[in-house]
Amino acid sequence: MHSADEKDVAYLYDGSLEGLLSAIFCAFENKVTPSDVVREWEYVPRLGQDQVVIATDISKAKRVKDMLCRRCGYEAYRCVTKVSLSGDLEAGTYAYRYVRHLVDRIRSSDCASCKRRKSCSRKGASNRSRCYTFKRFAAMGDITDPLVSPIFSIARSVDAECEKIRQFARFEHLSSESFDLWFSRINPKHSVVPLVMGHFVERFNVQPFIIFDENRDLAGVYDGNGWFMTSVTEESISKNLESLSAEERLMQYAWKTFYDTLSIDSRYNPELRRNFMPKRFWKNLTEIKEMPRTSIDNTRK
Amino acid sequence: MEITEKLEILADAAKYDVACTSSGVQRSGAQGSLGAAGISGCCHSFTPDGRCVSLLKVLMTNVCIYDCAYCVNRASNTEVARSCFKPRELADLTIAFYRRNYIEGLFLSSGVIGSPDATTELMIQTLSILRNEYSFRGYIHAKAVPGTSRELIDELGLLADRLSVNLELPSQKSLELLAPDKSKNSILAPMRQIADSIADDKESRSITRRRQTHYMSATKARVAHKAFAPAGQSTQMIIGATPESDYDILNLSASLYKNLSLKRVFFSAYLPVVSDSRLPSNDHIQLDREHRLYQADWLLRFYEFDVTEIIDESSPFLSTDIDPKANWALNHLDLFPIEINKASYEELIRVPGIGVRGAKLILRARRHTTITEAELRKLGVAYKRARYFVTCNGKYSGFGIEFDKDSIHAKLAASIDGGSHGRRADRPIEGQMSLFDSLDDTRASLKGSTSADKDRLRPSFDAVTKPSGALYA
Repeated sequence: MHSADEKDVAYLYDGSLEGLLSAIFCAFENKVTPSDVVREWEYVPRLGQDQVVIATDISKAKRVKDMLCRRCGYEAYRCVTKVSLSGDLEAGTYAYRYVRHLVDRIRSSDCASCKRRKSCSRKGASNRSRCYTFKRFAAMGDITDPLVSPIFSIARSVDAECEKIRQFARFEHLSSESFDLWFSRINPKHSVVPLVMGHFVERFNVQPFIIFDENRDLAGVYDGNGWFMTSVTEESISKNLESLSAEERLMQYAWKTFYDTLSIDSRYNPELRRNFMPKRFWKNLTEIKEMPRTSIDNTRK
Repeated sequence: MEITEKLEILADAAKYDVACTSSGVQRSGAQGSLGAAGISGCCHSFTPDGRCVSLLKVLMTNVCIYDCAYCVNRASNTEVARSCFKPRELADLTIAFYRRNYIEGLFLSSGVIGSPDATTELMIQTLSILRNEYSFRGYIHAKAVPGTSRELIDELGLLADRLSVNLELPSQKSLELLAPDKSKNSILAPMRQIADSIADDKESRSITRRRQTHYMSATKARVAHKAFAPAGQSTQMIIGATPESDYDILNLSASLYKNLSLKRVFFSAYLPVVSDSRLPSNDHIQLDREHRLYQADWLLRFYEFDVTEIIDESSPFLSTDIDPKANWALNHLDLFPIEINKASYEELIRVPGIGVRGAKLILRARRHTTITEAELRKLGVAYKRARYFVTCNGKYSGFGIEFDKDSIHAKLAASIDGGSHGRRADRPIEGQMSLFDSLDDTRASLKGSTSADKDRLRPSFDAVTKPSGALYA
């Protein structure tokens, strides 16, 4: 892989999807093969390795995105997005190798192996992007290939984490004179807030809400019109967002009561529960986390 | 009474109803309305016994004029506190929980207060507050009370996403014995009505969709009306309270799926909550049997099995040490080993260790590469089980044992992960001798297992000398 005069180099990017795509672009532009593509703060240098910090350039990122979507299908770009959002240390490296593999392998008109080629009206390079079979199967085709299989498993892991957040994000109603919103605190192992905001916006479009990822100091905010991502710190959260609404404690107590009442002792199976609901989520689950016990009589309607 | 006290009483009364899924209907959110429903449902929490909590599962009231022997809410049980929700406060509670992402929707059942029609009217009031005032687009599952009139079932079906009527017990004789107030007809009539309404609804909606051309005349295409129970119908029965065999139960489920087009049949292992002379007196809860019945139910619904392939009259109980699909495979070893690269989807899902997901992954990978043993291991099938039944590109990797029923049976019945998988309470403690030999015998006879199983259940002195091995299989 490395010839004698080619040095071992690592590309460092800023951690965002645009940064990763810029790094991939630079690798092609400079005609080098970095052996590692990592986020800047996660980098551990190897012996004899040079490091190059890549500046994030939106136009370069867009060019990689357009190339992926047109040549390899939107699915390939989606997988790279998910991999960039994952918490893995090697995610960037796998993504780079995967894009490299796609560019090498998928040529402009590859309809030879398609089973619809006799009846298809979309053959040829110019029509490639409209071919349905191509879009679905080209990118994640051979999932046992050692360059594709880590992408497949990381994307699957990110999807699973999205599903867990849709299940376990719990909102609480904060209201004071200046604001009235619903706040949720989550601790996922991948950065899934951009992927789940669409789901919650569709469902809760009548209430403004914030989903705070406490592992990454990121928050997704929906203000009633559209949603956006912003970075916040734990201190600013605890300073500005404090006041629970009047019935919030009552509802949390009611939910906890409901949860405790539902268990049937003779079928006790904590391993099964732990299988479905991993313990790392328990600190933010209303029904299991330690709740400050205040007087419920004050909140009586 | 305060809302949390009412919730505690009525949730406690509803917890034995196992039908708690939020799947079956895809409804997108609408701007200005709260809620949406996903086709696969979402489990928001899990109880300490491992069951999922996805809906606010409560009774409208636990007052009941019926006196079914197995039910904690029966009229003659004077120890339990009785309560009733007002429709407005239940709707408010549901919305409050939904906004906090605690639940996907509401599961509303009820004891019978006054008469079945009066109870159903209370439920209809609650659901119409949710659907009409709050424009709630989440999931609602309503239990229809047996004996309700037809017009009320129609109204209920337009408000709820899923309707169900509990079958309670697998045969008419058991029903007459344990639940004399409910007759077979009072349960089956609403089920038939619901099934017919769903079928009518589906047909009329497909006609509406098919009309693409717009005619110049004054006749309009039929207006899309509200769907009747779009997520279908389900039911539930209690296992172990009465002496029906698995053969009876599975045949009943299969005929329900075929004739009434049910979405799902739920099984609930009998839990002794009240004591009665008509009920079995031992404390053993048949969780294993319930598990095997659910596995057989999955085979009927997803693996295209016929009920005669899973079970027959000569052995009317499902085997407890291996799952029903492996049991079928062992009885039909002449069909195996199949070639992974050439088999069809229907052949692949019959292999023990390859499920629906694994078969689809194999089909996907097969388009691009030949699957050899190395690739099959990476794909995500249960390779340790499947390898005895498949060849990869002509090569068979099930070495070490003979290709006959008993040896493969021993391999498939062996404990998973060397015994560390599964409920800790069920794990055998190596080397310890049990004082309760007679209890083990009773358990074995209840499960209907053979004498070979009885020997396996009884601990032997070999446990002391052999440090490992599948003693309890």
